[in-house]
Amino acid sequence: MSTLVYGFAVLGSLVAAAVGIHGLAGGTWTLVAPGLLPLGGFAIAMDRLGGFFLTLVAAAAAPVSLYAIDYDRGARRGLLAYLAFLGAMALVPLAANAMTFLVAWELMSLASWLLVGREPGTSRPAWAYAVMTHAGFACVLAGMLLLGARAGSLAFADWRAVAPALDGTTRSVVFVLLALGFASKAGAIPLHVWLPLAHPAAPSHVSALMSGVMVKLGVYGLLRAGLEWLVPGPVWWAAAVLLAGVASALVGVLYTLVERDLKRLLAFSTIENVGIVLIGVGAGMVFRAEGLGALAALALVAALYHAANHAAFKALLFLGAGSVLHATGTRSLDACGGLVKRMPWTAAAFLLGSVAIAGLPPLNGFVSEWLTFQALLQNLRLPRPELNLLFAVALAGLALTVGLAAAAFVRAFGITFLALPRSEAAAGAHEAPPLMRAGMVATALGCVALALGVTWIVSGLAAVVEPLAGAAPPLAVQAWGTVDVGQGFAALSMPVVGVALALALAAPLVALRLAGARRDRRTYETWGCGRMLQTARMEYTAASFASPFKRVFDFFYRPDRRVDVRAHAESRFFVEATTYASPTRSIFDDWLYGPVGRAIGQATTVARTIQSGHPNLYLAYILAALVAMLVLG
Amino acid sequence: MMAVCNLLAFLGLLAALLVVWRQSRPGRLQLFVAQSALLAALAAAIALYSGHRELLVVAAAFAVVKVIVVPRVLRRVVVGAPVRPVAPGRSAGLKLLGAGVLVLVSYVVMLPVTAATSLPTAGAIPLAFAASLLGLFVCVSGRDAFTHILGFLVFENGIFGLALLGAYGLPILVEAGVFLDVLVIVLIMEGVVVQIRREHASIDVDRLRELRG
Repeated sequence: MSTLVYGFAVLGSLVAAAVGIHGLAGGTWTLVAPGLLPLGGFAIAMDRLGGFFLTLVAAAAAPVSLYAIDYDRGARRGLLAYLAFLGAMALVPLAANAMTFLVAWELMSLASWLLVGREPGTSRPAWAYAVMTHAGFACVLAGMLLLGARAGSLAFADWRAVAPALDGTTRSVVFVLLALGFASKAGAIPLHVWLPLAHPAAPSHVSALMSGVMVKLGVYGLLRAGLEWLVPGPVWWAAAVLLAGVASALVGVLYTLVERDLKRLLAFSTIENVGIVLIGVGAGMVFRAEGLGALAALALVAALYHAANHAAFKALLFLGAGSVLHATGTRSLDACGGLVKRMPWTAAAFLLGSVAIAGLPPLNGFVSEWLTFQALLQNLRLPRPELNLLFAVALAGLALTVGLAAAAFVRAFGITFLALPRSEAAAGAHEAPPLMRAGMVATALGCVALALGVTWIVSGLAAVVEPLAGAAPPLAVQAWGTVDVGQGFAALSMPVVGVALALALAAPLVALRLAGARRDRRTYETWGCGRMLQTARMEYTAASFASPFKRVFDFFYRPDRRVDVRAHAESRFFVEATTYASPTRSIFDDWLYGPVGRAIGQATTVARTIQSGHPNLYLAYILAALVAMLVLG
Repeated sequence: MMAVCNLLAFLGLLAALLVVWRQSRPGRLQLFVAQSALLAALAAAIALYSGHRELLVVAAAFAVVKVIVVPRVLRRVVVGAPVRPVAPGRSAGLKLLGAGVLVLVSYVVMLPVTAATSLPTAGAIPLAFAASLLGLFVCVSGRDAFTHILGFLVFENGIFGLALLGAYGLPILVEAGVFLDVLVIVLIMEGVVVQIRREHASIDVDRLRELRG
C-alpha cells in the first residue's frame, strides 16, 4: 500500500514538475470552479512565479517520494496525509484568490501536522507546530480579509489594481499581518521555534519536504504580499524583512554549530538558509522601494536561486540523515561516527550536500550566495547613508553566516561519518536500500545541475522576477558559461571554477610525478598522533567541536557548564567517572516565549473564575448577554 | 381585536410572573398549563380576526403539545420530589423585583418595534417578549432541574406569542418543527432529570458543581 502511494506521488510530482516548468517558461492558464468554494470560488492561475514554486515543490517531491518507498515501507498511517500535503503544497503557489489560497494553506498545515505527530512520543512537537502554524494562519487570514474588505474583492488580480489607492495605515497593517503569518511558516526569527521541534519529530522524508519546500512557500507569500499585492510599499517594510533575514541567518547558524541531534541541526540550518533567502528578498524590496528596479531584480534572482538550491541540498541532507537514522536508529551525532566505511553512498551524498550548503565552490550553494553578495554590494548606488549602513550590517552578517555554516557542516559530516564508531548502533550500521540511495543520488545530481546550469537558471529567473521588480536584472551571459553582474561589476563562470578546482587538486600529483617521487605504494596504518592505543572514547566529539564557539559566542549561547566528578568510595583521589555537560539556554525561550506563555497562563486562570460550576450562573450569563445585546444593539 | 390580544397577552405575562413567585412545583406546572391555554386561545383569536385559517391548526397543535402532552411528561418528573424545595428558598420579593426590571427592559427594547409595526396586535408585543425573558429568568433563579425545564418552556411560549403578535405566526412548517423540538427536548430532559435523581437522590442542581472542569 505504501509503495503504491509513494509511487503515485513520484508520478504525480513528475507531472506537476512538467506543468511547473511550462509555467516557468511563460505558459499561463487559469482554472475556475465557482461552486467548489464559497466567497469567490475555487480559482487557480499559472504565472511565472507560481510556476517556479510549483517546479520547486514537484522537483523536490519526486526524489523524496522515491526515497520514501524504501524508507517508509509498510507504513499504514499518514499515507493520505502525505498525498494531501503534496497536493496542498502544489496548490498554494497557483491559488488565484484568497479563499483558494487559505484553504490550500490550511490543508498544507493540517496535513504536515498529522505527519509530524505520526510517530509515538511526538505529541509535544506536534502541539508546538500546531500552535505556531495556526497563529500564523490567523495572521494571514486577518491580513487577507482586511485587504479583501478594503479592496472589495478576494481575487489576487484585483488586489494589484486596487492596493495603490488604499491609505498607508491600512496597507501597513495588512503587510505586517501577512508578513508575520508568512514569516512564521518560513521559520524567520523569532517565529522559528517550531522548526527544531517539528523537523526531528516528522519522518525524514517529510522533514525533507517541510524543510526544503514548505518553508519556501512562506517566502512565496512574502514575495506576493510585499512585491505584488501591496506594491509600492515604504522602505521600512523592506528594511524589516532584511533585518529579519540577517537575524535568522545568524541565529540559525549559531544554533546549527552547537546542536548535537542531526535532524535538529538540519532544522536550525534551515532557519539560517531561509535567513539568506530573506536577505535577498529584503534587499530586493529595499531597491524596489527606492526605485532601483534592476538591482531589485538582481537581489530577487539571488533569493529565488538560493531557495531552489536550499530545496535541493536540504532535501539531500535530510534524506542522508534519514538513512543514518534508518541504519543506526539514532539521531545523536555523538552516537555516530565511522559511518563512511559502512555507508559509502550515504556518506558521499551527505558530503556533497554539506559542501553545497557550506557555500563552497563548485556547488550550487556557492552560486546563490555569491549572487546575494553581489546584490548587497551594489547598495553603493543607493544615495541614503542609513540604508547603506543597513546593507553593511547585512553583508557582515551574511559573511559571518557563510563562514560559520562551513564550520557547522565540517562538524556535522565529520562527527557523523568519520573516525571510529562511538556506539554499537553505529558499528552495526548498514547501507541504505536501493531506492533510498536513488532518492539521494537524484537530489545530489540536482545540486550539481543547479551549479553547472547557472547561465540557464539565471536567465529563467530573470524572467520570473521581472514583473515583481519592474525591470530586468543586470545579468548578462557571456562566453565560457560566464555570468556577468552589473555590466562588468563582477563575473562568475562555474565551468571555469570547476575546471580550475580540478586542476588545483591534480596539480600536486602531477608535480610530484614530475619531481620524480617514488611510484611504489606502501600500505601502513593511519597515523594516530603517536598514541599506542586509539579508541572511540578519545575522539573529538560534537560537544568538543562546538566548545570554542560556545566560548566566543558566550553572550548568545549562555552555556551552563556542569562537571560532575564521582570519586571512588575508598579515596577521593581516585576518580570513578566524570561527566561534563554544557547545555545552552535559548534566548527566545527565556525572554520571549516564556513570558508570553506565563501571561497566557495567568489570563486563563483569571478567566476561569467565571467558570464557577453553578448552572444558574451560566444561565444568567446567557440572560445578561441577551439583555445587553438587545439594549445596546 | 386589540383588546382581546392585549388581555390574553397580559394574562400570559401574569402567569409567567406567578411562575416566578410560586414555590410549589405542581402549582407552577398548573400555571404553565394555564399560560399555554391562554396562548392557544390567543392564536385562535388571531386566526378568527385576521382570517388566517391555518393558525387554527397551529392553535390546536399548540394546545395538544403544551396543554396535554408536555405537562403529562413533567408530572412524571415531579412525582417523588417534595412538593416544595426543602432548603430555604431565596426571597420571592427579590425575584419579583428582578422580574419587574425585566418587564421594564422588554418595554424599553420593544417600544421602537411596536412603533414600526402597523399590525393591530403590536401593542401586546412587549408583553409577550417580557414573558419570554421571564422564562429565562425562571431558568436563572431556579435551583432544580424541573424549574429549569419549566423556565425553558415558558421562554419558548413567550417566543411563540411574539411570533403570533409580531407576524401572525410563523410558517406552519416551522411551527410544526418547533413543536416537535419542544417535545423531544422535554423528553430528553426528563431522561436527564431521572438520571440526576438516581445519581444524587435529588434534582437540586447545586449538586452538579462537581462537574466543574
